[in-house]
This record gives sequence, C-alpha cells and structure tokens, in this order.
Amino acid sequence: MGRVAVVQIPGVNCEYETTRALEAVGLMARIVRWNEPASVWSEFDAYVIPGGFAFQDRIRAGAIAAKLPAVDRIAAEAESGKPVLGICNGAQVLVEAGLVPGFEHGRVEMALAPNAAPRRAGYLCRWVWLRTAVGPGRSWYASSIPDGEVIPMPIAHGEGRFLTADPEVLRRIQEEGLALFRYVSPSGGPAEGYPHDPNGAMLGAAGITNRAGNILAFMPHPERASWLRQVPLEMKHAWGEKRRAAVGRWDALEGPGPGRLLFESLARKLGAGQPREVGS
Amino acid sequence: MSAILLVRLKITDLSAWTALETGRRLLDPGYTLTRLAREQLLMFEPEPDVRTDSFERSLGEAVRHSNFFVNPNKETFRLLTAAERGETWSPPEGAWGVLTRPREDTRDERLRESLQREHPMPGLRAIRRARVWWLGTRGPDGGTAIPYFSAALGDLRGPRHGLLVNPHAEASMILPGAVPWTRVERFLTEPLPALTGAA
Repeated sequence: MGRVAVVQIPGVNCEYETTRALEAVGLMARIVRWNEPASVWSEFDAYVIPGGFAFQDRIRAGAIAAKLPAVDRIAAEAESGKPVLGICNGAQVLVEAGLVPGFEHGRVEMALAPNAAPRRAGYLCRWVWLRTAVGPGRSWYASSIPDGEVIPMPIAHGEGRFLTADPEVLRRIQEEGLALFRYVSPSGGPAEGYPHDPNGAMLGAAGITNRAGNILAFMPHPERASWLRQVPLEMKHAWGEKRRAAVGRWDALEGPGPGRLLFESLARKLGAGQPREVGS
Repeated sequence: MSAILLVRLKITDLSAWTALETGRRLLDPGYTLTRLAREQLLMFEPEPDVRTDSFERSLGEAVRHSNFFVNPNKETFRLLTAAERGETWSPPEGAWGVLTRPREDTRDERLRESLQREHPMPGLRAIRRARVWWLGTRGPDGGTAIPYFSAALGDLRGPRHGLLVNPHAEASMILPGAVPWTRVERFLTEPLPALTGAA
C-alpha cells in the first residue's frame, strides 16, 4: 500500500515538490505522465493532481485537463475507494471533471471562479489560516490535524473561489460536511472578508470533498508547507514561533511544517510505512 | 445606446485552437467542428443624458490612441457605434456564436476607473465584459446542427458534455443568426436566476 501517482499534465509545475512531500510521509510517489497507457493507472493506490497551469489554463483553469482519458481512469479508480487529491490547479481539474462534490454521477456541480474580494482581484499568493470541519473527508485528509486546530497554509491562485449556481448543491455541501477545509481568522473564528477570506469562496471553503470523502479539491499548497523551513519567519502563530526557534538548526528546519499534516493523514489512511529519514 | 468593442487576436489564438481540438473529441461521428474563434466583447454604457456623438468620439479616441483596450501588435478590433452596428448583430458568414458572461455583475469597475484616470471620458457609466465564441459546424445532413453543437460544446454539464462555459460561474446565450442588440444588452446587464438541478 502507499503507491501514489503524481499526475504530470502539460503545464503543471508542482509535481516534483509534491512528490517529495509525499515521500516524506513514507508514501511511494511516482510522477506519471498524463498520456501513459490505460493499464498504468490501476497500479496505484492513490492519485495526486498537482498545482500549476494545465494546458496553460486555456478556456478556463482545468477545463481541458478535465477531458483527458487519464482523468476518466482516475475517476474510475476513485469509485473503488482510492483517494484522489487535487491541489490548486488539480482542484480545478477535479471540479471541472464533476468529481467534486459528485452528488450526481457525471454532472458538473461547481466552478472555481476568479477570486473576488473588495478592490482586490486576480492572482493572490499569501499564507492563509485553515480549520477543518467534521465530514466524510476527515479520516482521509485531516486525521492528523487536531480537532479545532488552526493551521497556516500558502495559497497561490487567481481562480480559487468555490462557487455553485445551484442552491441545492450548496445546501448539501454544507449539510453533509463536504467543505472539509475552511478559511478562518488566525484565532479560528470565521474569516470575515479579505484578507482572511482570500477569494470569496462559498462557505469560506478552501477544500471540498466528494460524499465518500476520498476525493479532495484543495486550493492551498500543502507541499509548500511540508517543511518547517518553508514557514515564514515573521508568522504570528505557534508555527512561526517554532520556525524562529529553529533558526540556525538545520535538523529542526528540516522538520515537518503544517502542510505535512495533510499528507500524513493520507499516508495513515493508506497504511503507509515509516516516513523517510529527514535529509535522506 | 451603448457602444461595443470586439477584440480578437491576430496572432494564433492557442486557446481557441486547443478548444477546437478538444471540442472535436467530444463529438459523435458525423458531426464536424470546422472552426472556432474567440473575441472579447466590451460594452460601453453612457449616462442617459450624454450626447451619443461626443461620447462615441471620445470612446473612439480612447480605443485608438490609449492602447488601453487593444494591443495593436497582437490584436485587432472593431468598434461598433450606435450608428454603425444597426439593429441586429450578425455572426461572421457561415458561423454562429456562443456569447458568455460572468453570472455575477458584468461591470468592470476597475477598468472604468483606470480608464477615467488615464483617458477621462465624461458620461461613461459602465464598462461590461463578455466573450464570444464563433463556431463553424456541420451536422450529418450538411446543416449547422446548432442545437446538437451547443449541447455538446456549450454549457459544461459533465465530463463528456459541454466545454466552453461553466454555468456555475458563467451564463451563455446562443447567437444562431442575426440577434437584436437590445437582446444582447439585456443579456449583459440583467441579473441571472440561480441554476436548479437534480442534486
């Protein structure tokens, strides 16, 4: 158990660091090109579509990649319960393919629309604060995150606003706890507007799962927060204090960052082996 | 009455090319997508009491000389004033269109404000944004088969159905032939109802 395909679609640019982050929690990650033969996909226990700009975001972010045969095959593998994690552009692919929230099979029920904040539009790269909710995705992607804990994570997107025009879809996402990760204030309260709510997503969602919980469309970049050295020195938070205390100590800087918790949760679910030794 | 600016790339439009290639893979045998082109549409709304001729003259100067809307190195444009555009909007010969707009307010207030800073235009109430895809299509009987192609390539409903528009973020209007400009203006200005589905 624990073989993860990191899907390399033309235009993605986070496949190598995502692979390293997966390996750091003991998973066997391999970069797999989008045009590999159909038989290759079933060899894996999990799939990660990393961030970037698949097909240069032509038409819309994720629109072209969602039509790839590889995504069809990953969707078929997910039906048997295998996890699929889409990070940023990968989340856009999953939404455009109709895999999240997936109330009705084969129907696209959401969009990841351009960011919307008062007097602020376009691409946004910054650290945000997240909190997990109770829902079916918790055991897959948040079991290592203590209940109620606020964790920092970087975002980098221009189209990250989860949006549905169907009020029934919105109601069910809320009622069934599918908005697993939400943007919050640093104290854990609701993110009331920019900058804590960076994009105006419905329900303040940063990550939404399908009903089974095994597919997660996640806008932040956990692979960019998987090592303590990646946490900004100036962060006003326990993670920032940890980072400042680690200055000059290489072994401490190579310790886990907050994004590691998401990958650890996945590894735990997959029953993966011991994390790789730091620095190996 | 509003003025319309249509801007398209004069270099190869790789988005349209990729949409063409991807769209062809979504079609049933016997249906052919022969071409696909894309234009940005900007609608300039004057204040009600503004004189049309002075407003359009000022807009024409802004479009031609400010480099604000058009990069002449890579784009070409058509500015359709009230007098030039007539009562209806006709697709290019042999084509039909899918006009798309954001589901939310189509006004680009940031663009209007920056234009006013750089090239003051008294009487400009709003600038609205939309996009139009022009399709050349042929069905098994030799006709354009617009209902089939608009279902196959228009609003995204599932992984194999729809491509050009995600209806949760955008709305679309089919331009099968000459369409009254008043209808286009209504589509670009009116709020949209929620979608309902079988969730």
